[in-house]
Amino acid sequence: MSATAVFRTIPVRELLADQLLDLSKKMKLSLSKADMLVVQQIFNDEGRDPTDVELEVIAQTWSEHCKHRIFNAKIYHTLNGEQEVVDSLFKTYIRATTEKIMADKPDFVLSAFVDNAGFVKLDDDKAVCLKVETHNHPSAIEPYAGANTGLGGVIRDILGAGKGSKPVASIDVFCFGPPDTKQEDLKAKDVIHPLGIMRGVVRGVRDYGNRMGIPTVNGAIQFDDTFIYNPLVFCGTAGIIPIKDIAKEVKPGQLLIAAGGRTGKDGLKGATFSSAELTTDSHEEDQTAVQIGNPIEEKKVADFVLAAREAGLIEFITDCGAGGFSSAAGEMLSEVGGEVYLHHCPLKEPGLESWQVFISESQERMVMSIEEHNLPALQAIADKWQSEIFVLAKADGNKRLRVFHYDSIVCDLPVDKLHGAPRREMRAHWRQPAALAPKVAVRPESWTQVLKTLLADFAIVSREPIIREYDHEVQGNTVLKPLAGAAGDAPQDGSVIKVDGSKQLVALACALLPEWGKNDPHAMGRACVDECVRQLVAMGANPQRIAILDNFCMGNPDAEKELGALVECTKGMAESAIAYGAPFVSGKDSFYNYFITEDGPVSIPVTLLVSGFGIIEDAKHVVGASLRRAGSKLCLIGGTTAGLRGSVFAKYTKGAGLDGAPTWKEAATWASYEKYHELAKSGAVLACHDLSEGGLGVALAEFAFSGKAGVKVELENLPATKDCTVAELLFGETPGRLLLEVAPEHLTAAKAAGAVVIGEATNEKYLNITLRGSTLIDAAVSDLKSIWQGGLVPYY
Amino acid sequence: MPHALLIKFPGTNCDVETSRALEAAGFTAEVLPVSELAPEVLGKAQLVVFSGGFSYGDYVMSGRISQLITKHKLGDRLKQFVADGGYVLGICNGFQILTQLDLLPRGSLIHNTTGRFICRWVPLKKNSSTSPYLKLLPDNFELPVAHAEGRFVGETGDADKYVKDGHGALLYGKNVNGSSAQIAGLQDDTGRVFGLMPHPERFIGKDTHYDPDWNGAERGWGYYLFKGVAEALAA
Repeated sequence: MSATAVFRTIPVRELLADQLLDLSKKMKLSLSKADMLVVQQIFNDEGRDPTDVELEVIAQTWSEHCKHRIFNAKIYHTLNGEQEVVDSLFKTYIRATTEKIMADKPDFVLSAFVDNAGFVKLDDDKAVCLKVETHNHPSAIEPYAGANTGLGGVIRDILGAGKGSKPVASIDVFCFGPPDTKQEDLKAKDVIHPLGIMRGVVRGVRDYGNRMGIPTVNGAIQFDDTFIYNPLVFCGTAGIIPIKDIAKEVKPGQLLIAAGGRTGKDGLKGATFSSAELTTDSHEEDQTAVQIGNPIEEKKVADFVLAAREAGLIEFITDCGAGGFSSAAGEMLSEVGGEVYLHHCPLKEPGLESWQVFISESQERMVMSIEEHNLPALQAIADKWQSEIFVLAKADGNKRLRVFHYDSIVCDLPVDKLHGAPRREMRAHWRQPAALAPKVAVRPESWTQVLKTLLADFAIVSREPIIREYDHEVQGNTVLKPLAGAAGDAPQDGSVIKVDGSKQLVALACALLPEWGKNDPHAMGRACVDECVRQLVAMGANPQRIAILDNFCMGNPDAEKELGALVECTKGMAESAIAYGAPFVSGKDSFYNYFITEDGPVSIPVTLLVSGFGIIEDAKHVVGASLRRAGSKLCLIGGTTAGLRGSVFAKYTKGAGLDGAPTWKEAATWASYEKYHELAKSGAVLACHDLSEGGLGVALAEFAFSGKAGVKVELENLPATKDCTVAELLFGETPGRLLLEVAPEHLTAAKAAGAVVIGEATNEKYLNITLRGSTLIDAAVSDLKSIWQGGLVPYY
Repeated sequence: MPHALLIKFPGTNCDVETSRALEAAGFTAEVLPVSELAPEVLGKAQLVVFSGGFSYGDYVMSGRISQLITKHKLGDRLKQFVADGGYVLGICNGFQILTQLDLLPRGSLIHNTTGRFICRWVPLKKNSSTSPYLKLLPDNFELPVAHAEGRFVGETGDADKYVKDGHGALLYGKNVNGSSAQIAGLQDDTGRVFGLMPHPERFIGKDTHYDPDWNGAERGWGYYLFKGVAEALAA
């Protein structure tokens, strides 16, 4: 093992623009020609050529993954032929939305967009935060390790939020190719079959979450052909922290201490790898970009960090994620500057080059700053919890990032230039397709059979085989579980957890509707916000105390139409968020989810995941989504409108999906949620289920899967526009609707709150739906339930 | 108040809720990291608890590394502690550790027959009228399980023998993981050492039951398990 730095100088000052681009490609920096010209200028100003360490640091720091340059770009957008300029999607639609809501509702959002995760006030001394990340590229080429470290990474985000938040619950959302995809339909060598992806991803999440002792309480899975080559893996974790421990600052003189796992060659260049498209070659060449997880190492770090925070030793903390130490230390020293000592770093194996030590994404590492005199106290706590720590750097106030490796200076950059990534300019367009009438009128022989078909659809079937693999009860605080009802196997809208030391509870939910994004991304943006908020309200969250997160995934941002869909989706999402007063407190984006197959590039549809959390002010307000007793009344809140575009039902009809999407108005919907909440607080609501995929028919069946009662409903009573067909009444997916179970003695109150009676819960365990007296659907609940429960069993 | 000492290994993760449950039942609870484990710490405890989790990742065999480290640090002192009247409780991973520590009748906890991790609530049957841990519980009750390695196996005939002689103090009400003779929990001859796969600490109040209409008792069944030991120690 040599005790000297291994690095080299890369001449760039004499290169022409095209040569700079070639260099970027050769080193896999993912930097554009324009970026490389700025890099050249930096070193012209410095009067020397860069080291390889410096180029790698700049590449990681400026990567899409770290700097979100597309969301901050100036976009020349054309909508239906009309031109407009979007001066940063993030500033215009996300930050502005949150700032407006923060002004309207002071004392709710405590911080947003400045830390690893945004914080919302839970009670007078605690705050709650939530962060969701994607780990799509790693999961495509190595599903188990990709998903494993995806969850491990977001847990560290929470440990590094504020001065160290305690992770209390996780959310996991996946988009896969259909499990029954034929092997011969895979149009590229080495692509992993969707079944292999699904099994690997679920096990990866299982083995990290369960070992960390964080309950995985909520999630969703979408299956579609467009996700065969680019599966999406979203991992989220919620945390709790004392409000006094949110604010943090690095000051000159403080030591930066790294804690946790050792550093190795695993996870090199993950940030830049995730900022490019996948190809068959990725399966061969980019394996080192995938990290290796060790949850027990992270558990030790978590115990250590939380103990150090409680002891008041931590001044600032962040996780080592994409870009490794270069990103963590770089961010912590981005204002003040400082010296980094790479030779202090314990390695997994000898012989790492300087750049590898600095940008390795080896897992389970955290970096915190402390006052120098607190080092012995910190060391004692680290020893107690068996976590390895070392002095990584010292903040000095010189505003330069100077990196030492043994006796050499391998990086010496002014912090302002390192963090001054040039702004991108991009072009986008979108044309809203016209609504076409269905080519074939939908008149099935049996509506019961249609319901059975929908209950067996991958979009709707029970996720139970997967849910049971996650420990959703550890920490002992899961009040509303992902499965409930008389036998603990009926679906819920989300989950509710208690918080140690607080009377307030936290509800968690998520929504994504990629099918809507294919034809109407603007409506998808609105509908995702609505569905997430609606689920939280249904469970008993105060509608005034809901915060949401936006996670975008898309294909090729350089394709104008795809970027146009993203712009429209973002606009729609912001529109609804403002109407509902639901601020975005954090978010993330993932680009380049496209794959070059034998038949050309395949992109995912623009996909938005809205996840959210809401405060439930009293345990008595918690409402589950399972029917509780025969004799109670079934009511609907929210009207049904025509249009089946994007619905699950549309998949089974020729052309129905080409008609318009259902319409709804946020203002009226919002008002109905507020009335519902008052009703739920009064104890009048026995159960409530949101209407989503599969519409009313599926929601009623799921309601009855509690095993406690049957359902009898007359559709004529349904609040709906006159142009609705039977298919739209039964299976339309108009947002804004809630299905309620109300005890007869509370019916007057429910009606006053806008609920419309559509039927009742019956002793006979049958699902019976009539229209003007004639039966449309009549089936034993047990028959329906076995179809729904068995759907994933052969595949997982 | 009786004092409970919960030994925490890297990867032990049910310590917070188990401490909370112990306190609810009238114990003072102390979580001790294994780095500070030494024979003398047993002196102040009446109950030693090994809680749930994945100690050292359970990569070799569940509970194996923890058993080696505990043996290395405590020698025979834990056996002496029991002989002197002390109580030892192992829950889930803690039960796995106990089976390796020679404190319970011989047998192992291996991978569920499904090969899967299972998180669900299960019906349970009491099979001991003397266990202090079970004395406040009815003949039939339920608790959640969450494990990948919960299938009890023993030498030929052992499991049936344990059910007959009462060492198999707790049984599943249905086949959950393939356990021989449906064994969910074991006790030693004194009844003071008890290990079980289900998680009593997750069902202390009614509010953590999956069915909001559950009304089987004043509190969750898990509470009565901890309360039973507290009462036995107070007696």
